Amino acid sequence: MKYEPLNLGRWILWGATALLFLAAPHVFTGGFALTMLTQMGTLIIFALSYNMLLGQGGMLSFGHAVYSGLGAYATVHVLNFAGKGLFTIPVPLLPLVGGAAGLVFGVLFGYVTTRRAGTTFALISLGIGEMVFACVLMFPGFFGGEAGVSTNRVAGAPFLGLTFGPALQVYYLVALWCFLCMAAMFALTHTPLGRMANAVRDNPERAEFVGYNTQHVRFLQLVLSSFFAGVSGALSCINFEIVSAENVSAIRSGGVLLATFIGGVPFFFGPIIGAVVFIFFVVALSGFTKAWLLYLGLFFVLMVVYAPGGIASLVLMQLQLIRAGRWRELVVPCALAALAALLALAGVIGLVEMVYRLSEQGASTVLQLSGLSFDARSAPPWFVFAAVLAAGLASLRVTTRRVGERWGAIQLELQARAA
Amino acid sequence: MKNENAIELQEVHKSFGTTKIILGVSLEIREGERHAIIGPNGAGKSTLFNLISGRYEVSAGRILLHGADITNQAPYEINRQGLSRSFQVTNIFHNMSVYENVRCGVVWSAGYRYSFWHRVGGLQDVRRRAEEVMERIGLARRRNVLAGTLTYAEQRELEIGVTIAGGASVVLLDEPTAGMSRTETAQAVELIRSVTEGRTLVMVEHDMGVIFNLADRISVLVYGEVLATGTPEEIRANPAVQEAYLGALHKEAANA
Repeated sequence: MKYEPLNLGRWILWGATALLFLAAPHVFTGGFALTMLTQMGTLIIFALSYNMLLGQGGMLSFGHAVYSGLGAYATVHVLNFAGKGLFTIPVPLLPLVGGAAGLVFGVLFGYVTTRRAGTTFALISLGIGEMVFACVLMFPGFFGGEAGVSTNRVAGAPFLGLTFGPALQVYYLVALWCFLCMAAMFALTHTPLGRMANAVRDNPERAEFVGYNTQHVRFLQLVLSSFFAGVSGALSCINFEIVSAENVSAIRSGGVLLATFIGGVPFFFGPIIGAVVFIFFVVALSGFTKAWLLYLGLFFVLMVVYAPGGIASLVLMQLQLIRAGRWRELVVPCALAALAALLALAGVIGLVEMVYRLSEQGASTVLQLSGLSFDARSAPPWFVFAAVLAAGLASLRVTTRRVGERWGAIQLELQARAA
Repeated sequence: MKNENAIELQEVHKSFGTTKIILGVSLEIREGERHAIIGPNGAGKSTLFNLISGRYEVSAGRILLHGADITNQAPYEINRQGLSRSFQVTNIFHNMSVYENVRCGVVWSAGYRYSFWHRVGGLQDVRRRAEEVMERIGLARRRNVLAGTLTYAEQRELEIGVTIAGGASVVLLDEPTAGMSRTETAQAVELIRSVTEGRTLVMVEHDMGVIFNLADRISVLVYGEVLATGTPEEIRANPAVQEAYLGALHKEAANA
């Protein structure tokens, strides 16, 4: 009896991911797309490393940016020293510098934070985050104060003919590290430590009675996670050529929590989706509207309430239906629900954009939304959008109930067949 | 001289605040015996287990495991020295499969500690041991089922499986047959008998049938003190025990 057959699906999935990384900049051409892709790669590493804590170890951290940020600071200084000709280090290996720095601070701070689990861990991580942020502002000589430390990634001799000046070369550097880190972090979930991290998350007491010091498990998990956080920090340093206090801030720490949660904490690949969506909100949407942060927050709240398993859980639900050959039955109800959601969204967008426009001093109160032109100072558009929102929400209620009923019925049938 | 006691309690006290639960218990559990601890509700049986296994700290006294002092050591330290326990309320990893549950009980004892460089699926010794344990507890066919979705009796079996998976020489079972039907109990007794072969067993149990069937010796705990220790026959014949405990049970039975 063979217990672990060659997992063909897994090889195909990883192969497809590698191909996607290679092809992405040629499919989504243009400087803006490239910027987004590079940032997505960096955030994927960061979010996956965050999920080593939250998803796999059950540790809700409010200060994970400390490790990526300090990794970025270490990288920026090493890069600057290399630029002065003090020593040479190939740019592609700089993420190891960031990773090492992240690891060292993981050992230092993790020793304190991982002594406790749960709420206490969360609070200490928040405290350490604030402390590091304060320190960064307190020592402008090293951290560069608010303005930060800037650098030039093209310092030193080209590596194998690559200068890493062009954005495309940076993208491929990020993509390579992203792929390596994804593979490494996935492999870690299949080690004794990775499995015991799950055990400690689910039932710390039992883990102690099968020989594991839960504190030690949390500590090692955090140290490994901060290594990968440091790698992502180094890559962001190479990409932006500047590191500032913002890199270690609570905003960053909150951002990675948001991205990870939106993607799906219970699944390894969840944070990958989350990072892509998050960058879309932060980089793409912020170009269209000033209200992007509000939309992101709204989206986050909706996910927490209605899909706590994140986008990944929704994707897996669809896969389950497709595998069972039952997806056709849900196409119409889902399409109706999507239409209702779009309607509600249109109402929300209209209202939010008008509010933002009115709050902006000196801006014209006339809005252009998808070909429509209206004045936020007049009453009719308010009534129209409020009505659209109300209609959207009402139809959403009806349509999602139908989806839920249909979905529940299929689930019951599948379970009955399996039993 | 070889120490013949697997566990030795010397004048162990435990109080929570001003409430004294264990009032100077001294107890010797011999290597390889099956020892049952009985007593009325609130006598401190579970507390005694929690003290031995390191879940609670003792207020005074000493606890020895194979002659080595384990007083107030952490549960994982005591476990590494060869003592494993089960819980009265099923305490397993509900979100993991049966196989993964058993494997969690195996990895430390197989020497892989906190390794993050071994692929756990590739560890043949761990896998073999986990398979063996699943066979013994009769859950091999349910290996991929989530522990949380098992039936109650199966969860109790898994609880025992996780407890013995690490190959501990001393096994503490806290009411292993609680809440089971008569047939399930009979099966559980056979399971306990087979998996504790060659080990020391200490169990808390309420079912007199199970106790007189399994135990080599019995200790009666009443209000935090050991009233008597002896073979099932001695305990049955002991007038003090009859007065304090068995008599009460008989009265309950008569009233019922």
